[in-house]
Amino acid sequence: MSILSTLNITKDYPGCRALDNVSVNFDSGRVHALIGKNGSGKSTLIKVFSGAISPTSGEVFLDGKKLNFQGPTDALKSGIATVYQELSLIPYLSVAENIFLGRLPKKGKTIDWKTANERARQLLHKMNVDIDPTERVYKLSMWQCQVVEITKAMSYNPKVLMLDEPTSALAQNEVHSLFNAIRALKKQDVIIIYISHRLQELWEIADTVTVLRDGYFIGNVQIGDVTYNDIVRMMFGEVEIRHRPVDLVARDKIVMSVKNLTRKDKFENISFDLKEGEILGIAGMLGSGRTELLRCIFGADPFDSGEILINGRQVPKNISPQIMKSLGLGLTPEERKTQGVILIHPIRDNLCYASLDKICDRHILNKNRRDQFAKRQIEDLDIKIPDSLAPVSSLSGGNQQKIVVGNWLNTSPRIMLYDEPSRGIDINSKQQIFQIIWEQSCKGISSIFVSSELEELLEVCHRILIMHSGKIIGEVNPGEYKIDMLYTATMGGKVL
Amino acid sequence: MTRKFDIKNFIISHMIEFLLVVLIVCMAVAAPGFLSTNNILNIFRNVSLKGVIAVGMTLVIIGGEIDLSIGSQVALGGVVTAYVSQFLIDRGIPIEYSALIGLILATAVAILAGIGHGMAICRFRMPSFIITLATQSVMYGLAAIICGGFPIINVFPSWYNFLGTGKLFGFVPFQAVILIIVFIIGWFLMEKTDLGRSIYAVGGNAESARLSGINVQKVKIVIMVAVQLMALLSGTMNSAQVRSATFGFGRGWETLVISAVVIGGASMSGGVGKIWGTFIGIMFTGVISNGMTLLNVNEYMQYVVNGALMFFAVMFNTYMNRARH
Repeated sequence: MSILSTLNITKDYPGCRALDNVSVNFDSGRVHALIGKNGSGKSTLIKVFSGAISPTSGEVFLDGKKLNFQGPTDALKSGIATVYQELSLIPYLSVAENIFLGRLPKKGKTIDWKTANERARQLLHKMNVDIDPTERVYKLSMWQCQVVEITKAMSYNPKVLMLDEPTSALAQNEVHSLFNAIRALKKQDVIIIYISHRLQELWEIADTVTVLRDGYFIGNVQIGDVTYNDIVRMMFGEVEIRHRPVDLVARDKIVMSVKNLTRKDKFENISFDLKEGEILGIAGMLGSGRTELLRCIFGADPFDSGEILINGRQVPKNISPQIMKSLGLGLTPEERKTQGVILIHPIRDNLCYASLDKICDRHILNKNRRDQFAKRQIEDLDIKIPDSLAPVSSLSGGNQQKIVVGNWLNTSPRIMLYDEPSRGIDINSKQQIFQIIWEQSCKGISSIFVSSELEELLEVCHRILIMHSGKIIGEVNPGEYKIDMLYTATMGGKVL
Repeated sequence: MTRKFDIKNFIISHMIEFLLVVLIVCMAVAAPGFLSTNNILNIFRNVSLKGVIAVGMTLVIIGGEIDLSIGSQVALGGVVTAYVSQFLIDRGIPIEYSALIGLILATAVAILAGIGHGMAICRFRMPSFIITLATQSVMYGLAAIICGGFPIINVFPSWYNFLGTGKLFGFVPFQAVILIIVFIIGWFLMEKTDLGRSIYAVGGNAESARLSGINVQKVKIVIMVAVQLMALLSGTMNSAQVRSATFGFGRGWETLVISAVVIGGASMSGGVGKIWGTFIGIMFTGVISNGMTLLNVNEYMQYVVNGALMFFAVMFNTYMNRARH
């Protein structure tokens, strides 16, 4: 039994106080969720625990012993291990090699593979997973990588294990496998601190929930004692969870038809119509072909057969994002940082890359118009920025996502394709993104909305297509459908 | 959304300009005659050959690529012009026209080389470092084969020679004028046109740029062609200056050209850089080499200094980028 506690931790940054007199306790054998919207101070607290920063004042204790870290290695030596959101595994090395990287057991001068693999097997076994230690990491699925990462942290025999958004890149069925592994860890008398944006998973995995807001400690509750709305209220104060306005209806005109679209090994025979102003959801697990489908429709990848009609006119088969842009399409890609924005470039420029032709007169840049275009999106989308010349990398995930959306809205699109627009952003930003999609729908702009968070689809869309293993297996109306039925369907079950 | 003027930021972001001023002051003190009009014009003329290539190289580096073959293009361009000119003169065509036709053919070769580089980058997804390392050798070899290993002489008319040794108003070297014009065009292209902004976007993140509907292949081809054309211009000016063409010209120039671009603040990973920075960078190298000549520094020592300059420029830039964020 061990306890990690803080006493009046305060952390000041120039111009802002990230943590204000926070005192919390975490005990072992349980999963403690640590939540808060962006800027709540939860990342700062995690950095204090992991030794990345030291607090301005206040103390941290582990089992009554005061901790004083000079850097991250000190934290690990004291028994605090962190698994970060970005995985640090090396793809072409084996599982065991990754786990014992830099400290592989040796026999004389050479590596003792037998012992390494045996020890890795034992550690993996303790987490109730069946992963071969000799397997190369690039062959593993996302959740297995996450488990290997956790196993690596556990191989240091830590007293505290911090998990930073371990499910953010996982599909729903993978989340369950990961949770089984985490539950197995509870038996090992370790303090598990769990950070997540996906609130609904807390009831599955967490025992207690600690909420921070604007640097203050708001509360610590047993998960069984609270409802979803209670948690949201703690995180945000009073906010209204919006729903799709009832008067938002799709019109009759069909703006896009997809007919028997096929891309080998990704999806086959996909057909559907999209109406003017309609918000069409696509529900499907990771690997169901939903991202590939959106990319093909946008011309980012080629397709093998089938056809796409925009306003009744067939799109030529050698399509490209350029052609689709000229036909009024826009795509916010799944990987925001690597495909949606140019992180090192200014906010202003990132808002205008898709509309370069519109801000130029005969290829010569019109600076006034560029600044207007940027300003319009910053205001309309309520993007919180210090300065329009700051790099996009300085923004939070939610604001970065709005930059991607704004970049496309500047092209005056007729059809917007959103691939996982809400991934990794806080609830407030999510609600704002949904609001934007609704507003566009009002103006007659159609949207296709892909998300692995099914309740979002039910909240946002007029109509939902269910994709499984590259095929559309059904179509549902959100009003008549419950989340558990939708979930079963996306897992390959029957559509009722 | 206006920025507050911050003296510290101003100094950090204009550090290279300050260093250049400091360097000029030091030279003015150490080498009498450094600040004379003649010497200053001389510096401009001396940097013009590499300076025009540096403008092209800035486009390439901002666009996320590199071209190591420019030195060979300097030689090949001059040799092709000279060889064709010789060939036509032998068949009775007046020298004025023969050189012009030679230059047109050399331009076609340079454009083809650039298109080839761009296509290899986009179609075969080869790194430009390797592609241009290969063509560096190929073009050097071709230049040597065409000129037969000896300089080709007496094939340039007076208008051609003017590109090398001409003076405006009797004292401004024409090469310096070309340099300034090329820099202005480069600056206009990068700052004021959609193509320039596309180059920044493609170098910053090619996939994001592609998904924003920017024609990445076109951008890559344009920048690879641009730098080849600038190398040809440089080769033309060079052969005009010495009134002959041979395969040894331009050997190793890529080091100095790339270091000028990097001293000017461009990032080798693409997406970052300025034409103005490259101008400062090329002047920096020009002032140093001019100063060394005035101070009678050993010629081979200048290679050591140029290499060291490149090393420290990259180190300095990396450090400054960290300091800024």
